Amino acid sequence: MSTGTQRVLGELLAVGRLQAFAVSAKGFAFDPRTGQSFSINETGVRTLELLVETGDVARAVERLAADCEVPAEVVEGAVTAFVHQLGRYLA
Amino acid sequence: MTARRAWEPPFIQPHRHDVSPFGRRGVDDDIQGAIAGVDIETLIDRWGSPLFVASEGRLRENVRRIREAFASRYPDVVHGWSYKTNYLGAICRILHQEGSWAEVVSAFEYEKARALGVPGPRILFNGPHKPRAILERASAEGARLHVDHLDELATIESIARDRGTVIPVTLRLNFDTGHTEPWSRFGFNIESGQAYEAAVRVKASPHLVLTGLHSHIGTFILEPRAYGEQVRRMAGFMAELEGEGHDAITSLDIGGGLPSRNALQGIYLPPEQAVPSIDSYAVAVCGALERAFADRPRERWPTLIFESGRAVVDDAVSLVASVVGTKRLPDGRRAVVLDAGVNSMLTALWYDHPVRLTRPVPGAPEETVLYGPLCMNIDVMRRQVRLPPLAVGDRLVFNPAGAYNNTQWMQFIEYRPAVALVGEDGGHSLIRAAETLEDVCRPERMPAHLQTGDGTR
Amino acid sequence: MNAPLPFDRGWRRWTVGITGMNAIPDNPGPGLAVARCLRAAGFDGRIVGLGYEPLDAGLYHGGLCDAAYLMPYPAVGAEAQRARLGEIQLAERLDFVIPCLDAELTTFVDNQAALRAMGIGSLLPDRRQLAARAKDNLVALCERLGLPVPRTKVATNPAFFDTCESDGWRFPLVVKGPYYDAAVARDPAEASRAFARIAAQWGYPVLVQEFVRGYEVNLTAIGDGDGGMIAPVMMRKRALTDKGKAWAGVAISDPELEALAAKLIEGLRWRGPLEVEAMRSDEGLYLIEINPRFPAWTYLTHGVGRNLPEALLRLAAGERLAEPVPPAPGVMFIRYAEELIVSPDSFRLIMVDGALNAAPAAAPSRPSRMFG
Ligand SMILES: Cc1ncc(COP(=O)(O)O)c(C=O)c1O
Repeated sequence: MSTGTQRVLGELLAVGRLQAFAVSAKGFAFDPRTGQSFSINETGVRTLELLVETGDVARAVERLAADCEVPAEVVEGAVTAFVHQLGRYLA
Repeated sequence: MTARRAWEPPFIQPHRHDVSPFGRRGVDDDIQGAIAGVDIETLIDRWGSPLFVASEGRLRENVRRIREAFASRYPDVVHGWSYKTNYLGAICRILHQEGSWAEVVSAFEYEKARALGVPGPRILFNGPHKPRAILERASAEGARLHVDHLDELATIESIARDRGTVIPVTLRLNFDTGHTEPWSRFGFNIESGQAYEAAVRVKASPHLVLTGLHSHIGTFILEPRAYGEQVRRMAGFMAELEGEGHDAITSLDIGGGLPSRNALQGIYLPPEQAVPSIDSYAVAVCGALERAFADRPRERWPTLIFESGRAVVDDAVSLVASVVGTKRLPDGRRAVVLDAGVNSMLTALWYDHPVRLTRPVPGAPEETVLYGPLCMNIDVMRRQVRLPPLAVGDRLVFNPAGAYNNTQWMQFIEYRPAVALVGEDGGHSLIRAAETLEDVCRPERMPAHLQTGDGTR
Repeated sequence: MNAPLPFDRGWRRWTVGITGMNAIPDNPGPGLAVARCLRAAGFDGRIVGLGYEPLDAGLYHGGLCDAAYLMPYPAVGAEAQRARLGEIQLAERLDFVIPCLDAELTTFVDNQAALRAMGIGSLLPDRRQLAARAKDNLVALCERLGLPVPRTKVATNPAFFDTCESDGWRFPLVVKGPYYDAAVARDPAEASRAFARIAAQWGYPVLVQEFVRGYEVNLTAIGDGDGGMIAPVMMRKRALTDKGKAWAGVAISDPELEALAAKLIEGLRWRGPLEVEAMRSDEGLYLIEINPRFPAWTYLTHGVGRNLPEALLRLAAGERLAEPVPPAPGVMFIRYAEELIVSPDSFRLIMVDGALNAAPAAAPSRPSRMFG
């Protein structure tokens, strides 16, 4: 796991951006600071929950891989991209 | 095929106010598992992917229906099968069995028609490039020569003079119908008087006789009235010549151009709404003929020839392609890489071919870009189509794909795929094998000094 | 084709679907105006807004629309439109639909019978009538009916503009899309740019029309399908926004325009709403366009006492219409913008479900409406 990814997540959590992100079950998300809304797919909603809950990219990957029965390497690449996407959109 | 499904990478997409998540929603059960009753997986197991699949039943039904649209409204109608649209031997043979003549535009196409057994008098020979040798053969075999320019006319005349015979010719005409952009580079222009001049040239020659007029106003013509106007102009020109004592014209050839149910890029509505019925074209053409010839006896009505290509073959052939990779583009769109691209289906450059899955795939449909296998930016099969999340091994069926693909496809980067035919009895056979290294390299020659060398110095 | 429309309930209590719910302040779709006309006529049934984009204002306008849905774009085709209306129908039981946008008329017309079979009535022209008034057929139509029309041509290639002057075309020319958009071009370069822009957005055909100097006059009415014209209302724009759209307009009475529209409706045997656009120049009146729907300024019809959306429903309900009141030239409209408050939940529902305030899906055991 790249430390860069964990750093991006850490920064988002430290300023409370992810926690403030209002996500509905059907994947509608709203960022109160920028006013931008988003669609998040099902895996994305679950990933976001895990990221906020664990605060740790590696643990989120582990749990997601177990949930979805997909090899951890596959999940890791996808979650890394997702965290960087979040970092970009919530910057 | 693959087992997964539950897994789709996490993804977040910002909303845009001008993009509706429902805007491109089509009909969800758009699934096609079989072609002409044969399971697509069976065909792919047999001949691999990608694969073109032609339906013999559909092809026969199409040509009968289209010919009948005209023949039920005009006494004497001939269909000339436009070889360039799809000249696979089996396709041509089916259409010749149905009574279609051959319409060819090069020495190669002429030779192919003859090799398939079409007699000269049932070959319409168009095209701007007819070398003397092929003109000599075609005129000797009684083919119908459709003359494109004065130099060609001179060559034909010289052949006839050398042989001491008279060769009948048809003049290709062009003019502005007011509905379509004139294809003024082919044949002789009416408005400028060129066509008249050419007719006078023919009349003046003891070795030539003018027996027919031809014109082809373009392709994928969405306006039936363009044909009505075409016929009016051609019949007017014919009357003008006959009025001045030229020999009787016995055939009017209106070319091709009838649209198929394909989605031309730049047309807002889909083909179901945008493409008029074949009958509306037949009504326009035959109505105009009837008006033009109202005061001459039936026996002096010329034969009506039409050279429809795409309308006959397009939806009779499908292309089956398989997903070889998936990705998310930086702008958030889903993208899929297929094993067939514009190398196999060149017409994807101009048409948004309708595409279907071969079986239901769970997951939310989204705008997806379909790419081909080439390492070229232009290799796009569909710029956007709503599809559920696809995975490696999923199949897509492109239809219509029968017009101008099995002829314009290129051996570029990839081998050209196989073409299978599903017969009317549900049997299937190969009508063109997938290309091999041997096929591609057969015409190459290696000079003596290049016989060795493998990358080590 | 006479309808299983619920005559017994009276048109005032129908459920009516209306499209054209977009309302960018200086270029609104007609749907909101149509809905306001119905409300002003005492309609107290359900109005279901059918929109194409998540910011179509009408979708959120609780005072006008009781429920709202997103539709697939007409470009996806009649089948997709039918499928979506089928879904909506399960919840809403629409009695009638009023399409208000040019680009969707073809698909609605093609779906007319299928919608009728689902219980959704409409009052629309047939495919032939719709095509006869299309911009690329206007000249032929006018020739047939003996009406003046500026010289118009289908252009398939911008190269036309470089040589057209030798064929007698004089700049400025009007370049028009098949459904929307028109630009006045003063020279070949401007015309080519307009051609490229319009073709990219709306596709072909692109039309070129001779520019008529003068002022524009508009008429809206309903064709009864037998050649009769119902309750024409005429308008001249009084002030334009800087995009050239109506900002204020005034009802007028122009007998020549009325006669021209009557001739069109009779010649086409037009069925349903329409708008006639004409130019009044020193040489007389020229027809420039026929739109197969109510215009954005439809609310003026209520203002002059000839509420056309109301007349449409009455007609569909089989009522005999009373003689319209005399037109009231001088009555004006001024268009203004107003903000709607949209809750986060409403926007979310439109984005996620494509539906807002949907009626609870009808239970299969619901008693037949004929006796309800
Ligand atoms: C002379 C001639 N005839 C017929 C055709 C067939 O046209 P289509 O496939 O549009 O029917 C063509 C195509 O370019 C042509 O050039």
